[in-house]
Amino acid sequence: MKKLKRNAVPYLYIAPTVILMAVLLVLPIFNVIRYSFYDNAFVKKNPSPVGWLNYQKVLADPVFWQSVRETTFFVIVSIVGHILIALIFAHLLNTTMFKQRTKTLARIVYILPWIFTATVISVMWKLIFQPAGVMNYLLGFIGLATKNTEWFSNKDIALYVVTYINLWSGYPFYMISVLAGLQGISPDLYESSAIDGATSFKSFLYITLPQLKPILLSLVMLDFVWTLKTFAIVWTLTAGGPMHATEIISLYIYRTAFMENHYSLASAAAVFLLIVCMIVAVFYTRQQFKIQED
Amino acid sequence: MATITLKNISKVFESTGKKKSEENTRTLAVSDFNLEIKDKEFVVLVGPSGCGKSTTLRMIAGLEEISSGELYIDDVLVNDIEPKDRDIAMVFQNYALYPHMTVYDNIAYPLKLHKVPKAEIQERVMEAARILDIEQYLKRKPKALSGGQRQRVAIGRAIVRNPKVLLMDEPLSNLDAKLRNQMRAEIIALRSKINTTFVYVTHDQTEAMTLGDRIVIMKDGFIQQAASPQDAFDHPANIFVAGFIGAPSMNFFPGKLLRQGDVYCVQVEDLIVQLPEEKCARLAGKDVQPQDITVGVRPSHINVDTGVENELTGTINVSEMMGTEVHLHVKSSGNDVVIIVPVIGSYASYEKYLRQDEVVKFSFTGEACHVFDSEGKNLEF
Ligand SMILES: Nc1ncnc2c1ncn2[C@@H]1O[C@H](COP(=O)(O)OP(=O)(O)OP(=O)(O)O)[C@@H](O)[C@H]1O
Ligand SMILES: [Mg+2]
Repeated sequence: MKKLKRNAVPYLYIAPTVILMAVLLVLPIFNVIRYSFYDNAFVKKNPSPVGWLNYQKVLADPVFWQSVRETTFFVIVSIVGHILIALIFAHLLNTTMFKQRTKTLARIVYILPWIFTATVISVMWKLIFQPAGVMNYLLGFIGLATKNTEWFSNKDIALYVVTYINLWSGYPFYMISVLAGLQGISPDLYESSAIDGATSFKSFLYITLPQLKPILLSLVMLDFVWTLKTFAIVWTLTAGGPMHATEIISLYIYRTAFMENHYSLASAAAVFLLIVCMIVAVFYTRQQFKIQED
Repeated sequence: MATITLKNISKVFESTGKKKSEENTRTLAVSDFNLEIKDKEFVVLVGPSGCGKSTTLRMIAGLEEISSGELYIDDVLVNDIEPKDRDIAMVFQNYALYPHMTVYDNIAYPLKLHKVPKAEIQERVMEAARILDIEQYLKRKPKALSGGQRQRVAIGRAIVRNPKVLLMDEPLSNLDAKLRNQMRAEIIALRSKINTTFVYVTHDQTEAMTLGDRIVIMKDGFIQQAASPQDAFDHPANIFVAGFIGAPSMNFFPGKLLRQGDVYCVQVEDLIVQLPEEKCARLAGKDVQPQDITVGVRPSHINVDTGVENELTGTINVSEMMGTEVHLHVKSSGNDVVIIVPVIGSYASYEKYLRQDEVVKFSFTGEACHVFDSEGKNLEF
């Protein structure tokens, strides 16, 4: 009896978390998967199973494929951009060329975008990019824009603008992470490398990058998952328009479910997203284990 | 294969105070450093902590800007030449191995940067590994090596390129005593295998004495003396060098310099000894006048109970039996005097020196005396 009690205690401790996770995480995921195999769940009172029909419908939807293409662009450019900006800014913040005070000030300025919520960022950039806004005024000087240049309602460039704003709003986290990584590299390594005959670029290639590799890999995977599920900022900027031009997958799912009430189709699309995220999550976990082993 | 010339080299560290109230501080780390290092010479910079040894070495390496003065390597002014273009190699105190590379890649790195063909890299890395006996670790990462093995890898990386100059900053200070002795011997052996100019930094005078062709003793950023180990030991330029070189340290007694014609005598308390001819000649040559002096005598040059006239006396404070000799710490009219008594003959003959509070009489000859003026300078110089 006593032994049983002792064995049960640890499980009791973790039980609340497990139950919470089950209710909030596993159950919805499970439900979404289930809905995706029924004809219109929620809307019909007694939905009936339809097999793979929802998946077939989603895969046959040209808007879905357009969304996939846009999401791919959005995610890849965001990741590459975030990492590049992070590397450059972190290096700037880590040089010995400036005084400490200057660097602290620069760090505060650089980190500002991160403290705004998505809605504030949207409002701000909408004001900047509106036809009579600052951006057109400034670009007008070099002849790149006029007072009538539309940024959000032009289907050819709206996605670029949205991606750019997402880049801007997200880089501080990556910058700070890379900066922490840079500061963890012993200065001796650079001195040794310089004496061994390396230029600064070679030192970056052979010392900095390999030393940052674990951090960069983690950041890429985190960014992948985070960007893939970006919703608020795009929704508040363009709501997916014009003509689905900025309708990344999360917006596609949202529109299908809550505006067109095709919950089962939305569920099927969501399952695709889930699978992609799961694959990345597996890689991420594997990589974390590898770092721990090293 | 290079000469190094340091001309009036100085280094000032300026640090600006963080708050307004803090003043900007200027640290004079090295001042007016003049030295000519010959081709293939092994020069050791030695001195107490903070005396500017590392700073000097790092200026030679190009890691630290030279505040003033000129640095020549092979008669080329290198003040503004980047470390990578100076053709030097350096072994860091904490090794600074690249943690993400294997031992092989660590050693190959300088060659790779100099675009040496792959096959030759392989050959030269194996050669360096063979010299340093680390062939079996080539595939490991530095983390999986012991301190001594890391040390060898660091040396391997430095010698693989056949640099003109090999700089070492306290390379043995992270090792335990036994390993340190072993590595010291290996560095001596290494010297005969590779032909380069060595500049070696240490705070350990034994290392300096055993390794250097020439040792440069520094204090507070100034060179105190640059001489061969034997010369520095026999003719220390000042009290600082005299006390720093040799273990246990030299004893110092307040005394008087007496002169009669060209003959000089040294008086400590009532003991009067005559200086040997060559010393007298040197003092006479400089026309040194009688004056108050500090007399330096090495512990091993003090004789006990010889029965000469007016011997000094003291009581044994501590006596350390070292096996072949006994180190006596003697209290004598306010001075702490260290005396080394050789252990010869029967136990009875030296037994009294093992007793605390035993009174001993001691003296020294003129040959053993070093004479320093009131500022600490050796009067012979
Ligand atoms: N980056 C720096 N900024 C300011 N002062 C410095 C700096 N580096 C060294 N110093 C000062 O310069 C002086 C000489 O330092 P250095 O490192 O050359 O001493 P060292 O002889 O190598 O001593 P150790 O045996 O402890 O290594 C010291 O007083 C030190 O505080
Ligand atoms: Mg040092």
